[in-house]
Amino acid sequence: MKIGFLINPIAGLGGSVGLKGTDGLVEEALKRGAKPVACERAKKCMQELELDTSSVILTCSADMGENTMINQSQRYEVVYSFEGNSTSEDTKNACKTFLEAGVDLLLFCGGDGTARDVYSIVGKDIPVIGIPAGVKMHSAVFAISPGGAAKIVEHFAAGKAELRDAEVMDTDEDAYRRNELRMKVFGYAQTPYEPVLVQQGKSLFQSVSEEKAKEEIARFACEFMADGSLYILGAGTTTQKIAELLGLGEEKTLLGVDAVKNRELVGKDLNERELLRLLKKENENEKEKKGIFPVKLLVSPIGAQGFVFGRGNQQLSAKVIEKVGVENVIVLATPHKLSETPFLLVDTGSEELDKQLSGYVSVVCGYRMAQRKEVRRG
Amino acid sequence: MNAKEKIFLDEEEIPKEWYNIQADMPSPLDPVLNPATREPITPDDLAAIFPMGLIKQEVSTERWIPIPEEVREIYRLWRPTPLYRAKRLEEKLKTPARIYYKWEGVSPPGSHKPNTAVAQAYYNMKEGVERIATETGAGQWGSALAFGTMLFGLKSTIYMVAASYDQKPYRRVMMETWDGEVFRSPSKNTEYGRQYLEKDPDTTGSLGISISEAVEDAATHDNTNYALGSVLNHVILHQTVVGLEAKKAFEQIDEYPDVIFGNVGGGSNFSGATFPFAGDKLTGKKPDLKIVACEPMACPTLTKGLYLYDFGDCAGMTPLLKMFTLGHTFVPPPIHAGGLRYHGDAPLLCKLVKDGWIDAVAYHQTEIFKAAKLFAETEGHIIAPESAHEVRAVIDEALRCKEEGKEEVIYFNNSGHGHFDLGAYDAFLSGKLVDYEYPAELVKQALANLPQAE
Repeated sequence: MKIGFLINPIAGLGGSVGLKGTDGLVEEALKRGAKPVACERAKKCMQELELDTSSVILTCSADMGENTMINQSQRYEVVYSFEGNSTSEDTKNACKTFLEAGVDLLLFCGGDGTARDVYSIVGKDIPVIGIPAGVKMHSAVFAISPGGAAKIVEHFAAGKAELRDAEVMDTDEDAYRRNELRMKVFGYAQTPYEPVLVQQGKSLFQSVSEEKAKEEIARFACEFMADGSLYILGAGTTTQKIAELLGLGEEKTLLGVDAVKNRELVGKDLNERELLRLLKKENENEKEKKGIFPVKLLVSPIGAQGFVFGRGNQQLSAKVIEKVGVENVIVLATPHKLSETPFLLVDTGSEELDKQLSGYVSVVCGYRMAQRKEVRRG
Repeated sequence: MNAKEKIFLDEEEIPKEWYNIQADMPSPLDPVLNPATREPITPDDLAAIFPMGLIKQEVSTERWIPIPEEVREIYRLWRPTPLYRAKRLEEKLKTPARIYYKWEGVSPPGSHKPNTAVAQAYYNMKEGVERIATETGAGQWGSALAFGTMLFGLKSTIYMVAASYDQKPYRRVMMETWDGEVFRSPSKNTEYGRQYLEKDPDTTGSLGISISEAVEDAATHDNTNYALGSVLNHVILHQTVVGLEAKKAFEQIDEYPDVIFGNVGGGSNFSGATFPFAGDKLTGKKPDLKIVACEPMACPTLTKGLYLYDFGDCAGMTPLLKMFTLGHTFVPPPIHAGGLRYHGDAPLLCKLVKDGWIDAVAYHQTEIFKAAKLFAETEGHIIAPESAHEVRAVIDEALRCKEEGKEEVIYFNNSGHGHFDLGAYDAFLSGKLVDYEYPAELVKQALANLPQAE
């Protein structure tokens, strides 16, 4: 087993001194007295990580990995070296080296920015898992703690982990520092997770893999979507699975918002204006036909915090949701995704709408099955 | 007014007859159909796996059916069970209602299940059957059957769902202590099991697979029959000892319930505890009596299901039963009240619900555990998650009585203890319970657009 391991040594620097991120602000952060945290977090992970002797960790020189690996019990080799202070380019180049060396898993320590750099090179080629150390961690590739990351790596090495899709998200940091939250999903990485047997008490169940759970949700959705309504499909791999089962295959955009009616794609990668135009047209059409079919919106929570609206899908604006109607929003999520967040969040920019969307909702989580989940204002 | 906390009957007052509600129903049950011919099944159709004594009970419309003395003798081991007055719960709720519950957790296997397991073992023994095969999900029914067969010198073979076999070793040990032969299902003991294992050696099993193994075992061995722990008329009949004892105990203290609650999985616990009272409603003696079936939101058969003919099992091997159903292919989610995870319900109970004699209500998992916790804090017993459903309903009713200043008499059957369910309590206490629910509207929309099945 070969595991690639890299640290973004400046990740998390800005957080302790009140900066909303670290990109381009290392000197400012250090001037304000920031202490590097990433190496410490990575060290914690390595202290807990137990691997068999056949496993080897491939890492980078100096504070991008080697400094942390000295004095640890795991076998390691430095395969990427750099001069001076490491940059985002070094993260990317290290990832390329790891891919060439044929690593089975990539363990990185950083925040959303690091996840994005890693994802830009490895995509879905190999699974990645993040040791959380950044200021922002909206991406779903992070373990809950350094120790948690160690456990997942151990399970992966033992062949016990399964893989799931995880959003890689990042903000526009300039906008973020101006208190404007603009968040984007850059893609879906593969991340290992440990399937948990749900059986306790009297029931008798094996865990359902993420892929299977998505298929079950999609199978159910395809059944109820045959009612002739216009369906707006939010971003993500669950809605993509629905499109796949509907026979729309490649047509659905993974990161964008599409519209489907009677098994046909009637709008692709729609922005807010296009969505509003489509809704207006649909309204006029249905009025003519004395239509009884409302428009429905299928959305999946995005990112580690479970935002239904307001992160990564800004085209589904307050105006769009109001036009569709709160009662026509159908939330879909796999049981694993739901288990990761105690409640879901909305932040549409409209206080009134957020209030209407809050409370308990029925989230479709399987074939003809739902979970009651609380939605709060983010 | 009664001031006692427990009302005990004498052993001689264990009922001598079971009560068959079919005698008092205004219209008869729809027949059970042979899936191949769609004609009503005949006793002969069932004779391959059930003894004639039980088949006769299954189709009987006699009001009273004698309980064999040998069965009553064994009932004496734990029957009559006490009728409790839940005074501490009443005080905690500050309700004017008087709450009573029958406590079936005192039986050796810890639930109401042996009331029928013992009777079924007896009739099989009488007809020379040497062994009974059955399935068990988590072990409650398997434990009761191992206990019942042992007492009549019969052997039992129990196909226990693999995941449960691995994770609930104490239930298995319980069955083995009562001489039960327990197989991790799917097993190599049956053709079906062998085929399944070949296809999927790492499977953790399911109740459907275990049923198929048990039925195959019974059908392929002359000395072996099959037994079922709920749903069927004869199972419900046996469970009426609970309601009959409760009626007698209420007579002793000159009370009669205004409202009765019970949890429903397959329906035998609920029906056994309530049918003797429901008979008074059907015959006009107690027209205002309210009877309420409590079920999980995750498997809301009576509140959200359709009333039609469906298979009793997942594989579609059983005769067709007219009942409320969520569809025999519906797999309920992994809630902790595992005993309530059944896609259909007993046809007798379903008909009474359909005809408006019995009401039904559904609850989320978290709210029933809150009720179970309050019950444990006041009455002490840590109850099974199944029973927690009616405790939730009882508490809500008692609070309504408080608001309205009504002195109702509330009765429920506390069907078993939760000592093997502490994992579920742990999940509740640590805030990890998931509130599954059945998306009825979306399912309705989906069904409306599906091609109609033949």
